[in-house]
Amino acid sequence: MKLLYFPGCTLKTSAKNLEKSAFAIMEALGHEMVEMEDWTCCGVVASLTGDDLMHHLAPLRSLIHVEDQGENKVVTLCDMCCNTLKQTNLRVKENPDDLETLNLFMDRENDYKGTVKVIHFLEFLRDEIGFDVIKKKVKRPLKGIKIMPYYGCMLLRPREVAIDDAEEPTILGDLLSALGAEVVDNPFKIECCGSYHTVENKELVSKRAHRITTFATERDSDAMMLSCPLCKFNLDTRGKEAEKMFKGYKQIPTYYYTQLIAVAFGLDLSVCGFENHAVDPTLLLKKRGIIKK
Amino acid sequence: MPEKSYNKKIDHDLGIPLQDDYFYNEPEEIIETNQIKEIESAVKLSEKLKTKKEKRVINADVLIVGAGISGMQAALDIGDKGYKVVIIDKTSTIGGSMVKLDKTFPTNDCSICTAAPKMVEMSRHPNIELITYAELNSLEGKKGDFKANVWKRSKYVDPDKCTGCNDCVEVCPVDVVSSFDEKITTRKAIYIEFPQAVPIVYTIDHENCVGCGSCDRVCEPGAISFLEKSEEIKVNAGSIIVATGFEVFEPTEMRREYGYGKYENVITAMQFERLLSSFGPTEGKPVRLSDGKKPKTIGWVQCVGSRSKQLGFPYCSRVCCMYATKEASIVKEANPDIGISIYYIDIRAYGKDFQQYYDHAKDLGVRYIRGRPSSIYENKDKSLTIRYKNTLTGEIKEDTADLLVLSTAIIPNRDNKKLGETLGIDVDENGFFKQQSLLNNPIQSTKDGIFLAGCIQGPKDIPDSVSMASGAAAKAVEPIKDRERHIGKDFPAEIDVTGEEPRIGVFVCHCGKNIASYLDVEKVTKAAEKLPNVVYAEHVMFACSEDSGKKIKETIKEKKLNRVVVAACSPSTHGGLFRDTLLEAGLNKYLFEMANIRNQCSWVHSDDWDAATKKATYLVKAAVAKVGLLGPLTEEEFSIIPKTLVIGGGISGMKAALALANMGIKSILLEKNSKLGGRLRELHSMFPSDTKTEDIINPLIEEVTKNKLISVMADAELVDVDGFIGNYEGIIKQNGKNKKVKFGTIIIATGFREIDLEGAYQYGKNTNILSQTELEKNIKNNSFKKKPKNVVFINCAGAMDKKRPYCCRVGCGVSLKNAKLVSEKFPDSKVYILYRDMRVFGKEEEEYYSDVLENHHVTTIRYAGDKKPKVNLDKDDPKNSSVTVKVFDDILNEEIKIPADLVILTINVEGEVSTESLKNMLKIPADAGGFFMEAHAKIRPLDFATDGIYLCGAAHYPKNLVDSIAQAEGAASRAAIPIMQETMTGEGAVSEVNKDLCSGCGTCESVCTYSAIEIQPRSDNPERSVAVVNKALCKGCGACAGACPSGAIDQKGYKSNQIDVMLEALLKEVTA
Amino acid sequence: MQGNKEIDAIKFKEGGLAAEVEELSGENVFACYQCGTCSAGCPFIDDMDLGPDEAIRYVMLDRKEVLNSNTIWMCASCYTCAERCPRDLNITKIMEALRQIVLRKKIDRTKVVKITKKEKESIPQLAFVSLFRKNIG
Repeated sequence: MKLLYFPGCTLKTSAKNLEKSAFAIMEALGHEMVEMEDWTCCGVVASLTGDDLMHHLAPLRSLIHVEDQGENKVVTLCDMCCNTLKQTNLRVKENPDDLETLNLFMDRENDYKGTVKVIHFLEFLRDEIGFDVIKKKVKRPLKGIKIMPYYGCMLLRPREVAIDDAEEPTILGDLLSALGAEVVDNPFKIECCGSYHTVENKELVSKRAHRITTFATERDSDAMMLSCPLCKFNLDTRGKEAEKMFKGYKQIPTYYYTQLIAVAFGLDLSVCGFENHAVDPTLLLKKRGIIKK
Repeated sequence: MPEKSYNKKIDHDLGIPLQDDYFYNEPEEIIETNQIKEIESAVKLSEKLKTKKEKRVINADVLIVGAGISGMQAALDIGDKGYKVVIIDKTSTIGGSMVKLDKTFPTNDCSICTAAPKMVEMSRHPNIELITYAELNSLEGKKGDFKANVWKRSKYVDPDKCTGCNDCVEVCPVDVVSSFDEKITTRKAIYIEFPQAVPIVYTIDHENCVGCGSCDRVCEPGAISFLEKSEEIKVNAGSIIVATGFEVFEPTEMRREYGYGKYENVITAMQFERLLSSFGPTEGKPVRLSDGKKPKTIGWVQCVGSRSKQLGFPYCSRVCCMYATKEASIVKEANPDIGISIYYIDIRAYGKDFQQYYDHAKDLGVRYIRGRPSSIYENKDKSLTIRYKNTLTGEIKEDTADLLVLSTAIIPNRDNKKLGETLGIDVDENGFFKQQSLLNNPIQSTKDGIFLAGCIQGPKDIPDSVSMASGAAAKAVEPIKDRERHIGKDFPAEIDVTGEEPRIGVFVCHCGKNIASYLDVEKVTKAAEKLPNVVYAEHVMFACSEDSGKKIKETIKEKKLNRVVVAACSPSTHGGLFRDTLLEAGLNKYLFEMANIRNQCSWVHSDDWDAATKKATYLVKAAVAKVGLLGPLTEEEFSIIPKTLVIGGGISGMKAALALANMGIKSILLEKNSKLGGRLRELHSMFPSDTKTEDIINPLIEEVTKNKLISVMADAELVDVDGFIGNYEGIIKQNGKNKKVKFGTIIIATGFREIDLEGAYQYGKNTNILSQTELEKNIKNNSFKKKPKNVVFINCAGAMDKKRPYCCRVGCGVSLKNAKLVSEKFPDSKVYILYRDMRVFGKEEEEYYSDVLENHHVTTIRYAGDKKPKVNLDKDDPKNSSVTVKVFDDILNEEIKIPADLVILTINVEGEVSTESLKNMLKIPADAGGFFMEAHAKIRPLDFATDGIYLCGAAHYPKNLVDSIAQAEGAASRAAIPIMQETMTGEGAVSEVNKDLCSGCGTCESVCTYSAIEIQPRSDNPERSVAVVNKALCKGCGACAGACPSGAIDQKGYKSNQIDVMLEALLKEVTA
Repeated sequence: MQGNKEIDAIKFKEGGLAAEVEELSGENVFACYQCGTCSAGCPFIDDMDLGPDEAIRYVMLDRKEVLNSNTIWMCASCYTCAERCPRDLNITKIMEALRQIVLRKKIDRTKVVKITKKEKESIPQLAFVSLFRKNIG
């Protein structure tokens, strides 16, 4: 299977390891992911006011280019991109007048015909590959590790673009079980990490990271697994900074789901890019004997 | 589970048959059932099976689908009128959801204790046929001529042989999740829903039974009958009543943030009722489901799934605020150490005595927190953390609850849509059945001849369900009113016991845990055995249950008893039931005595086992002593005048009179004003559908005036009344002239009026301060001079304060409706509603509230009861200029000043002015608010304790139009029963005058409140007088007997010698 | 809440604030019955001077001081409130509308961002893009 891939800006910079591990997984599964041509930054936040069509231009343009490449499906790794692209897609599907305005405005582009389906990589793994297939490919089961799956906001809300139930999602937990790890449930798994406040108000985000992590460690969790690059930064880097704010607090490691799949598949660890973490995630894996010391 | 109720098995080989009077007492022909009883060999069986090819046909008058409290009430009303009722239920017993509850609000009566007598009455009623474990397959035909196919599933247990001994359950290997216990425990594949089930026949759940046969092997009477087939029964009926009830929403797909289904200690309120119930899985102890320990804290979350435009249902479930208060206050009272909190948005304590009940709960220490929790999560010890905002203090908090109860939405029975298709009636968008017209005909479904009763039309509490059920009974009689009727039970001929030595049987009741947990029932029984003239004594689990009734009758026959003592509860609870049992056994019902070892013993001496046991022994001794001296008594029969007097010509009175007329009964409609219509004449429109009042009452007035069976008397008032049920003689003053009228029953529909605010809120001092009624009048007459810029509605004026602690029930709805009217008339005005709680609870009312807020931009401001809003007049022109309203916003915690051009007060209401005089004339009670007091708050809301007088509409308590009409039609049904029965019997235990001792002094006449004893000239010597008792009026109170200075009056059943032996029995014990 | 000269200068007709919010967001604030669910679920409630439910009430009562609050800027558009609201109000959109009212008057929330080079390199791009999109008109 050849899948068209929309990276988004962050995947090319701070979250290179997420992209690398995802590509490695695709190869291991015998499929191909190809970066789409001429994509632009999606704009991150979906346009929330009724009259704001301007902020739909960027995502729509990328969707048009997917159609231009003769494809009708595009996969993303970044939660925010996924959410924004899906919301734009939904907006133009439900409001053909708006689509017309946008098409007319972008007169140098082809018209968007509304045929593209945007999916998240997790959806692809769950629906088109299947977790049982992934389970079969596991060579290094993550035995003995208790991991809390963390979803954040963008995968699950708003409901119209969610990839799983907004209050009781199971997709990451199911994936973890397929990889052999023990899933730790945590009521804060769907809470917001702090998002862009990390730029101007990092103490606030550190507080959030502390609260979310404390819930995890109270339930004997060793680590957290997530999918969004911003969540990872907020929980990992800002979480480490929280160690200075809260006495005796130790931040636990965070993993991208793709990194854990790559580890479990027995792939070369260089694809995981573990050096880009604030809290060294290899220590835990070594401790549990998943990877060699 | 109940203990064995028989000391020894019935020996079938001796050919002693079980009494067959409890299941089908059919007057019509029933074909094969009688034959199934005697199956002995396979050969005979196959012959019977061959003849079974014909479908059983029942010709009935009314078919009722659903046997909960609504279905039962409707069935009893129709059966009492003499028509034949077939009632079906899909579970194996009747009783519905009411029997699952522990206690009912606001009286805290034990639910099963109030429902069980109705259930047993159902099983004994000669005109009612129960078909349980059955469903409606198909329906054809039209009003007056319906043909229904009922699929009766086989219970695989022979009802005539099953003794309810429970041996089968103990050996059954299959565990099934119990739906009666709301899935918190299991039952076996062979089971009985609950101990007081009617009919008391164990049922094999075919889907889960594995066919091992263990039950068959242990069943001594051989009641298991795997060959008993399910059958289709054809029922012909003239009308159909649907009363299939409700279910409780389980938030497993929607509202998952509350953790139901994920966290063990999160349960629904119905599950909590099962925990509180004395025959539930924990025998009445509220425990955490995770470890069975007593919780330290319990929390209730309101509105889970209700009032939700997304992820839920948009309507209000109407009963949750009250049942949460009930559950919380019951637990708090019994366990003051448990921390109890209720998280709410509004507390809808709208009904009669509800606000006082809510205030009492607060006094007990129940914490009410206004804040809807956002999410629930589980802590390590399996307790729950509740995250909420206390909207009245502004704090975000996290509380811990060991046990969390979710007050989830009331949803229609899941089979509703399918049933709707079978019946051919419409279902609304929430799944409840649609009525033909919400404001005009709330009981008629969308198909003629099919009527709705109870929660199937919309969520409601027990009194409203019962009223509606009676209303459905009245409407269901219309198509069949000319059919043949059959009144009364056919009892076996009375055995003559004169001259016999007393042979007394004593039955001591456990009453479940109510008696047996507090005194030694076994010891009391043993002591009774030794008493003189007692030939039989035993103890039973529930004396009022069907199988105990069977037992008593059998024992009477076997042991040739001629006197019976039941040591149990109060005679007012089940006395009538036991007397009927004696009648069915052929004994005069007055050869019976009760010893109250519950209310007067176990309940008040619950902390002293020995003393309570001793006292119970004395009480039984006294009862035994008395019963030996009791003799048979006769009851006087008298005829009923077939006419009803309806006092009050408003909407309730008119609807009642019409319902009576449609049943073929004459009525006199009395109205004190010159025109009919009541309060609706003054109002503009009704909520929640904004129908104009004239569109409601004008067609109705026309219909009433044209109807030949209704004689309207306007400008008329009742000034005096004499007589008793069935034989009233009244004096009506019409246009200054007195007129004598005779009637059989009375319906009171006198309505209500606004109270005198006594100048509060500056009412009366300024032309811009109006009442809601005055506002509607002005809008109707278009008499507003200028356009108001700011309009402020102040709710609860004169309500819920020290003087009048009750809620007016309709105020919130009226204020919303009028806010909408004002906003439509003056689109540029800004409308505010100052409220204490938004109590809109009825069908479509929450949606109406939502519409008013959104489309008319009404701003609601909540204020606390102890910080009432103030209205300040303008100093320069206090009479005519705009005013200022100051209110302390309870949510923002700041004072808001609103310059108001128009202030509308929602003034509290009280009973009509005629309450006082009617109260005294008819000897009926009224409460402090001037509203009449019904016989029983829950299951007899339309009756008075005095027979023959009935109540409906706002005279009972203010209510909206839908509830008034349902009640009015219900009262008509109740008032029609004595008339359709044509004769009635009086009291047997009446006073008796010994003419030789009577001096004619007249003391007795002066003390009798029922005017039942009169001084008349002697027949043999007209110069002298003697007292004469009117046996029909006499209630047997004994006042005259006590007052007579010559000792000439004795009360039958309470004669001096009978009381003397009781005293002897009691005192002898003490001095010994 | 601190007063802000530029924000205070924004003028509305009577009742105009609610109308403007409705036009921008498509949500009718009068539907709110102050149940408090949104505030209880908001991750940043502890740092807001007005809870989201209070902010909505202010709009309902035509108080433009709500534009001075830090509430609308603390909001990270996580949609938790919108998902749980029993009145089906999209509070996320209401917050955005309030932000837009300020931003479209060219009153930026974020003026200059002072961060170290190291931070600039480690913070994910999408944080910057979303911050600027949210806080700058």
